[in-house]
Amino acid sequence: MAGTDPIHQFNIVELFPIGTIGGSEGEGGIELAFTNAGLFMVLSVLLISSYLILSTSGRGLVPNRWQLVSEMLYEFVANMVRSSAGSEGMRFFPLVFSLFMFVLMGNMLGMFPYFFTVTAHIIVTGALAVFVIGLVIVYGVIRNGFGFLKLFVPSGVPVAILPLVVLIEIVSFVSRPVSLSVRLFANMLAGHITLKVFAGFVVMMSSAGLLGWLGAILPLGMTVALTALEFLVAALQAYVFAILTSMYLNDAIHPGH
Amino acid sequence: MARSPRSRGSGEEAEGKGVTGDLAARIARARQERAAQEADTSRRHGDMTGMGRALRFAAEFMAAIIIGALIGYTIDFALGTTPWAMIGMLMVGFAAGVLNVVRAAAEANAAAAVKGPAPRAVPDEEDDD
Repeated sequence: MAGTDPIHQFNIVELFPIGTIGGSEGEGGIELAFTNAGLFMVLSVLLISSYLILSTSGRGLVPNRWQLVSEMLYEFVANMVRSSAGSEGMRFFPLVFSLFMFVLMGNMLGMFPYFFTVTAHIIVTGALAVFVIGLVIVYGVIRNGFGFLKLFVPSGVPVAILPLVVLIEIVSFVSRPVSLSVRLFANMLAGHITLKVFAGFVVMMSSAGLLGWLGAILPLGMTVALTALEFLVAALQAYVFAILTSMYLNDAIHPGH
Repeated sequence: MARSPRSRGSGEEAEGKGVTGDLAARIARARQERAAQEADTSRRHGDMTGMGRALRFAAEFMAAIIIGALIGYTIDFALGTTPWAMIGMLMVGFAAGVLNVVRAAAEANAAAAVKGPAPRAVPDEEDDD
């Protein structure tokens, strides 16, 4: 059953140990190791960097295909940042572009059979989301000082219910990194499990004789359709992650509704 | 023989003015079209699929409730008031979740509303001027 276990693909495997911190192993120390998750994160960073560097090294005035794709990615993210965070938000363009490319590459690498999907682990998406919200808070406070707290005080609210409204606004703000990370993680996890379950049906049914062979056509068609859907979801979730990041950065630049 | 080139030249000059005027108008028109096109494509990119929107609303709503409950649980843990802070903060989290969904829906509505009035707004402003 190991071949059709839908959760098996998310197993984290140690590739080689790095060492331990906080005492030796078994004495409450934490073991550090280079895992397959780390490998695919390094791989996606290497792929993105080498692709962008190689494709733009020609610097053609008339771009070739590779350079054109890089320029389209650049303009796509630049338009997104400009439209949702204003031209002042463009100072965060490198960050948003890196996040977008990392999530997109992580999602797309996960679409290869036998590859590991880093964005299907909440620790990865959670770290990205907490970093974004941390940046929003730090930059908002540096830029606006106490004015940043206006974000939690909507204008035109009676004083009597203001404490309750502020409390609700704070919970709403704190829930942002959770919704940001959970959405990406849940989309990738659910999509890959569904894909694997339907693909598993094909294997199971085809081992049940001729009738099974014919019946396996249905889940096979479903798997093909789901693969296409997963490509859409992979691109869409990278886009959603990036646009929400730039919207939150907009809050840091212009607090107060 | 000497007149005809001159006349042709003056004609070209007159035409030239016409051409530059025409060119300016054409550039302005092309710019407008391009801006409209850019806005259109960016909006098309911004238009999420139905499933994406549904998942976004679900995540916004759920996250606020979980965070509210967690904050309440932490307060209870610190003060030993189990389970009252958790119950209270769960309700606040519910309210925050509704707020999140309303805000996300308002954003989606605003994005959809831009589609209709925006092309009309440009000629209207020109008429007012």
